[in-house]
This record gives sequence, structure tokens and C-alpha cells, in this order.
Amino acid sequence: MSVRAPYLTPGRLTATTAALALLLLASIVGAVLVGPVPASLWRALGQGGTSSADYTILFRTRLPRVLLGAVVGGSLGAAGAALQALLRNPLACPHLLGISGGAAVAGVLALLAGADALSPLVPFAAFLGAIGAIVIVTLGARADGRTTPHAILLVGVVFNALAAAALMLVNTLSSYLQAQGVLFWIMGSLSTQSYTLVAAAAAYAVAGLAWLLRHALDLNLLAAGEEGALQLGVDVERARRAVFVAASLLVGAAVSMSGMIGFVGLIVPHLLRLLLGPDHRLLLPASFLGGGAFLIWADTLARTMLGPAELPVGVVTALTGGPFFLYLLHRDLRRALG
Amino acid sequence: MRRALAVLLLAGCSASSPGPGSSGPPARVVSLAPSITEIVYALGEGGRLVGVCAQCDHPPEVARIPRVGGYLTPSVEVVLATRPDLVIAVPSPGNREAVRALERVGVRMLVVHDRTLADLWTSIARVADALGVPGAGERLVGYVAGRLDAVRTRVAGLAPRRVLVVVGHNPLIAVGGDNLQDELVTLAGGVNVAADAGATWPTLSLELVVARAPEVIVDAAMGSEATGEALFQALPNVPAVRAGRVVRLAGDTLLRAGPRVPDAAAALAAAIHPEAFQPAPTGITPRAG
Repeated sequence: MSVRAPYLTPGRLTATTAALALLLLASIVGAVLVGPVPASLWRALGQGGTSSADYTILFRTRLPRVLLGAVVGGSLGAAGAALQALLRNPLACPHLLGISGGAAVAGVLALLAGADALSPLVPFAAFLGAIGAIVIVTLGARADGRTTPHAILLVGVVFNALAAAALMLVNTLSSYLQAQGVLFWIMGSLSTQSYTLVAAAAAYAVAGLAWLLRHALDLNLLAAGEEGALQLGVDVERARRAVFVAASLLVGAAVSMSGMIGFVGLIVPHLLRLLLGPDHRLLLPASFLGGGAFLIWADTLARTMLGPAELPVGVVTALTGGPFFLYLLHRDLRRALG
Repeated sequence: MRRALAVLLLAGCSASSPGPGSSGPPARVVSLAPSITEIVYALGEGGRLVGVCAQCDHPPEVARIPRVGGYLTPSVEVVLATRPDLVIAVPSPGNREAVRALERVGVRMLVVHDRTLADLWTSIARVADALGVPGAGERLVGYVAGRLDAVRTRVAGLAPRRVLVVVGHNPLIAVGGDNLQDELVTLAGGVNVAADAGATWPTLSLELVVARAPEVIVDAAMGSEATGEALFQALPNVPAVRAGRVVRLAGDTLLRAGPRVPDAAAALAAAIHPEAFQPAPTGITPRAG
């Protein structure tokens, strides 16, 4: 992995974060102007006012969806960056570790138990599921009071397979129409018209990101190696617990509001680490902003490509992110061997 | 693979050769789809059913009959354990191997389709033939078609309204073109605004709902009423929302290509043209949402 800038100056932190924030803002504006149905911003803000079809299309259907994409993509990106550092493994991501799966299973169970799809019980259950997944995975990977990154990754992969099987089980047992509800969690969707939902997602995201940023320096040391971090005075277990809880918060909220959307938490932090270097004071906010922009454009493709029907956004993130990630891996491998 | 296709095609054209020891009309019948079970009962032959699929839930008497696995995932050995002399299935990728396996061991199979109204007429005739009651089949087709005609007559002359039929809220999944539900919307005096969306069950953007401006939204999605209400109330300039014409219908009646399609058609017609239905038809009572 190339490390370009060893020192993070306050100027560079501000400049890079500001540039990425501008990119995200431009993505939000750009994506709101693109859709399967032509809509004019001019007409929406002009004559018809808030009762015009243009206004409804742009501000009641597209903007909330684009904003939810920004928040969910950001949450997954930041959580991915933190998990990759914590596990010292660029392949770590909320998906592979089973956090998304645990959240989805708990969310589906809450729905089956009769919780209304709109009630706050569902995201709360998903959050508990994410935490539960993390607890099970870390406890399962612990031996003699210690956990190694590889063990966590292995147990996570197994847990993820379990969660996938549980979702399939629910899918098989439920009727066709209920299965539609399960499908949402498996395929993922950012479709929403509710600013309340977006605001709730944003609140979770800000809390999770702030929590992670408090541990940015610990993450830098942990990423360099657990022994070294211990010697430099990091309370490794405590830092790890804090990061896991913060990541669960981010992933649980994201999954509960948009289902399982893969590859954002894997590819965005990985790519940004290559571009910006491994300092988490920059990498965490950068992954948040970059993840948001990436998911917004992936969803824009999902909304428009097949028009008037739409694609599951998870298909777009996997089909665009997957090959690119394979290329990066292959290049790294060639460098390491060459 | 090619053989499987050939088998399915053959089975689709006619009941394949009777198995050993099966002469005369079958007495032990297994139905692998809810629509088939309803047809067998409507023919008055429900007593011959010795096995049905897990999703078969109508008429209520069906609760007594043993289950032989899911609609899409029948269990070959449970089917065989009922010692059937006729198994009736609707083809799907999920049950293709099971249908093949049953055929290979010599069970008499009948494969019928259930996607369009034309499929329904053919299914009724073919099931009735296989059960040895072709007369009952003709009467049932006449009865169901007659009830459908009654619905058609009731809305005849009324200006068709633009209709969106929703079967899932999140993601928003609608009735597309080229299926029974689309036909029923047309029959009930509606124009399906998602008929050209390129799929039988397309996922739609909310903005498409705004752009297509349906005058009636039929909400056949599972899940709570509140979810659908919150979803559509946020789109006040959709004519259906403005006029309070968001109507909930029980999903399974609408989705099943069985002898109850006239109930679904009547419920749709009452939702689309409430003025032609005072008082509301029996069966499902639509409620404005």
C-alpha cells in the first residue's frame, strides 16, 4: 500500500476535507437534477410553487432519497475505514464481518414480530442486531482474553453466512407478500420521501462519526500493530470496544434505513487510504464524505439506468465497486511480488 | 437442461402418459399451487386432494389437507408419500427439478400456467379434463367468465381512470404489464400507468408515481396501512392522493389466478369507479385511505 503523505498538517486536513465536502455537495445537487422523469428546477422554484409536480418530484422524492444516500454511504464508508484499521485488514468491511447481516436479521425479526415498518423499533432492533453480531463475533474470536484480527475476520465471515441463511429461512417461511418485505433488507433501497427518516439517519451518523474521530489517533496506532500500540500506551481492548460500538451504531442505523448495501464500506476507505494516506484524522471524515458521494451516484445509476423501472442499488455498488476492487487488489499483489 | 425444458413443454401441452396402475380418473390428487387448489375445489373435486402446498389457504376446508412443501419448493418424497395418481403444478425455476423427479418415477403430472386470464381458462379446462369432469370445467369457465363480464358491464361506458397497483412499499413494487393483474385493471375500467415499465413486477421510483399521475392508487401491499399512507400522503399532487382515492385491497385475492378473479376484478372496479358500486360489492370491502 502506498503511503503518500506521512504528515498530516492542519492545513492539509482542512483543505482535503473541504474539497471532499464540496464534492459531496456537488453530488447532492447534481443527483437531484438527474432522474427517470424530467423535472425542472426552474419551474419547481418558479410559477407552480410547492404544489407543482416539479417541486414534488425534486424536493419530496429525489432530495430526501439523495440525502439518505449521502448519510448511509457516509456511515458505511466511515465504519469501513475504522474496521479496516482495527482489524489491520483492507478487506474488512461491515458486510464481511456480519454486522450488516446481524442488523438485517434483527430488523426482519422485528417486522415479523409485528413492528410497523415505520416505527423506530425497527432501526433500534437493527442497531441491537449490529451490536449483537459484534459481541458474538468478538467473543467467538477471543482466546485467553485476547483476540487477533484474523480470528475476528474468520468468525465474522462465518457469522455473515449464518445471517444470510437466517434471512433465507425467513424468506422461505414467509408468504410471497411478506417476502417482499424481506427482499428490501437483502437488496437494499434508498427510496424514501421522509425527511424525518433522513434526519434520524443523520443524527446516528454524526454521533457515530464523532465517536470514531475521538479514537482516530488510537486507530492510527492500532493500524500499525497491536503490540506497538500497547507499548505506546493505548488501552487496546478499550479502544477496540469503543470503535466496534461506534461502527455498530453507524452500520445498524444505515442498514435499518436502507437494507444491506455492500461494497461502499470496503472500496471507499480502501481507495481513499491509497490516495490520502493512512492518518485516520483525515481518513475517517474523508471516507464519510467519499462514501456519501459514491452511494449517491450509484443510486443515481440505479434510478435511471433501466427507467422507468429501477435496479436495486446494491447491484450497482457491487457491479461498479467489485471489478475496481479486484483491479486494486491485483495491482497491490503485483507490486508486492514484483 | 434441454431435456428438462422438453419435459416441461410436453407437460405443458398435455398430461403426460399415465403412470403404472392409473386407469380412469385419478382419486388421489396433489396440488402444488394455491390457484390450482382453488380450481380443484371450485370444480367440486376438493375431496380428491391428498396433498397441497404450504401456501394453499383457500377455501377454509383446505386446512385439513396435508402439506407437501412450499409453492416454489415442493418436497418430492412428501409428495410421493401421499401415493398420488395425479400431481398438478405451476412451472417455476424452483420446482422444475421436483417436477422432473416426480415424472421420472412415473407419477402422472399436469403442468399448467397461471399468469394471464387465458392461462386461467386453459388451466380450468385441463384440470377438469385430467380429473375426468370436463363438464364441470366448462361450467366453471362459464361461471367465472360470466361474473367477470358482469364487472365489465358495470363499468362499461365510464371513462377509464389512470391506476397504479402497488404490491410492495419499500422498495415500491407495482403491477407491470403482461400479467393477470394488468388485465384485471383494464377489465375494471382502469389504465395501468406502470404497464410499460418493462417488467411484470417493476420496482418504481416515487417520482415516477408523481409523473404518471394516477387517479387511483390500489395498495395491495402487505404490511400496515400506515406505511402506505405515509408514503403516498407525501405526494399531495398525485391526483389519487388529492382526491382521497388510495384504496387498500387484500393482496392474495388479487395475486392469485384462480376462480376468485371476479372478486378481485369487482374490488378493483369498486376502487376505480366507486360511483358505479353503491353499495359496495360483497367479498372485499375497499376502504379509502
